[in-house]
Amino acid sequence: MPAVAPRSGEAIFSSAERVNAELFTLTYGAIVRQLITDLEEVDEVNKQLDQMGYNIGVRLIDEFLAKSNVSRCVDFKETAEVIAKVGFKMFLGVSATVTNWDAEGTTCSLVLEDNPLVDFVELPDTCQGLHYCNVLNGVVRGALEMVSTCYLMLVLSSCHIIILV
Amino acid sequence: MIGVGKIKQYSNVLDKPLSKGKQEVSLSAFAFLFSELVQYNQTQVDNIAELERRLEDAGYSVGARVLELLCHRDKGNRRETRLLGILSFVHSTVWKVLFGKVADSLEKGTEHEDEYMISEKELLVNRFISIPKDMGTFNCGAFVAGIVRGVLDSAGFPAVVTAHFVPVEGQLRPRTTILIKFAEEVLRREARLG
Amino acid sequence: MAAIYSLYIINKSGGLIYYKDYGSAGRMDTNDTLRLASLWHSMHAISQQLSPVSGCFGVELLEADTFDLHCFQSLTGTKFFVVCEPGTQHMELLLKHIYELYTDYVLKNPFYEMEMPIRCELFDINLTQAVQKDRVALLGR
Repeated sequence: MPAVAPRSGEAIFSSAERVNAELFTLTYGAIVRQLITDLEEVDEVNKQLDQMGYNIGVRLIDEFLAKSNVSRCVDFKETAEVIAKVGFKMFLGVSATVTNWDAEGTTCSLVLEDNPLVDFVELPDTCQGLHYCNVLNGVVRGALEMVSTCYLMLVLSSCHIIILV
Repeated sequence: MIGVGKIKQYSNVLDKPLSKGKQEVSLSAFAFLFSELVQYNQTQVDNIAELERRLEDAGYSVGARVLELLCHRDKGNRRETRLLGILSFVHSTVWKVLFGKVADSLEKGTEHEDEYMISEKELLVNRFISIPKDMGTFNCGAFVAGIVRGVLDSAGFPAVVTAHFVPVEGQLRPRTTILIKFAEEVLRREARLG
Repeated sequence: MAAIYSLYIINKSGGLIYYKDYGSAGRMDTNDTLRLASLWHSMHAISQQLSPVSGCFGVELLEADTFDLHCFQSLTGTKFFVVCEPGTQHMELLLKHIYELYTDYVLKNPFYEMEMPIRCELFDINLTQAVQKDRVALLGR
């Protein structure tokens, strides 16, 4: 079968069915609130958000592959760009920027300027240390694992995702 | 390119202007998130009734916030005081903002004075969900029922709100009805207002 | 007149997670379909090693005297294959479409457990529609 050209994040997002971001933001807020009530410890909540993201990632990757027509990435630099420009764009409607490459090219940061998950969210003092959008780490980790590339993930602040190979 | 198109950072989140509600995410993103909400809650419960309750509670907090947001942004801070007014608000404004369309229908119950029904051929939240046979009549729309209850309660119209599948003649898939049963005090007040 | 005989979906470990028979002569029982899926999984893997050229993704088309077999494997290792009448056109497109239906009505279902057999009503309904449309298009020619 002849190869189909990969589609841009913008093209996929425009042709997909979309919903009001507020529904998404508020639903995520409800999830975080549930976790805080159930688990109480901020570290436990962070872990659970990561796990939930992972569960989403292992399912979401197939839709990403089906809609974007990307073939296997040649190297990690390409992978990071694809995640940032196509992955984030087609689901969240916003692209990320890839920055902060280390010398070996095994570590980088993905920066989201505009993140629908955290719209109007302010962490109270009782929740300092909560990585509010930790779910995104899990999603990227789960998705990458399914295409059998091993990456480790860490988060620094609520809008930074750092990928280490 | 870092710095180009950077969004202005506000030191206080309250200074940031309220969004116009035009930003969108893909339906898939919401569907995956909602699926995970259901899956997480399944691990926290022993039975279906509890699962429904937890989904409703999650929806309640969304509803309470949606009311505040829409009253301020779309209604110029006007408050609904009449039953039909608030029902119309839920059926049209709330539905349009959250689900992209007004609800299919709003009906008054025929058997009970305190019952009203908002129906949809298929709730947005159920778009990709198939309920296993062994879960009986369970409906993930319990989340939406919770949203409605949150809106009504915060607006001063306490009610019990539940989501039900209703089979439709000649159609493979049942439609969903959000059943609203208002508290006595609401009906008494409504009668007083004439 | 069914151009498509059957559809199989196998998970990345080679387990059969979905089988649909479209009324062909060779109806198989559950054990046979499981065995067949497992066999195909192995054959597919072997074919990648047999390739004289590196970077082979495995068998995409098998042509026999009484049937064709079209196979699509996603990068996640899930395989979708149809057994159909020899010379049936557009099976790759159909498989791609079925893959999309899978990403919607299976993967977004909170009651579906990964790698397990698919029992999703909406997937069945939409799959039937997709195959029907395909059949109508073929008959119309």
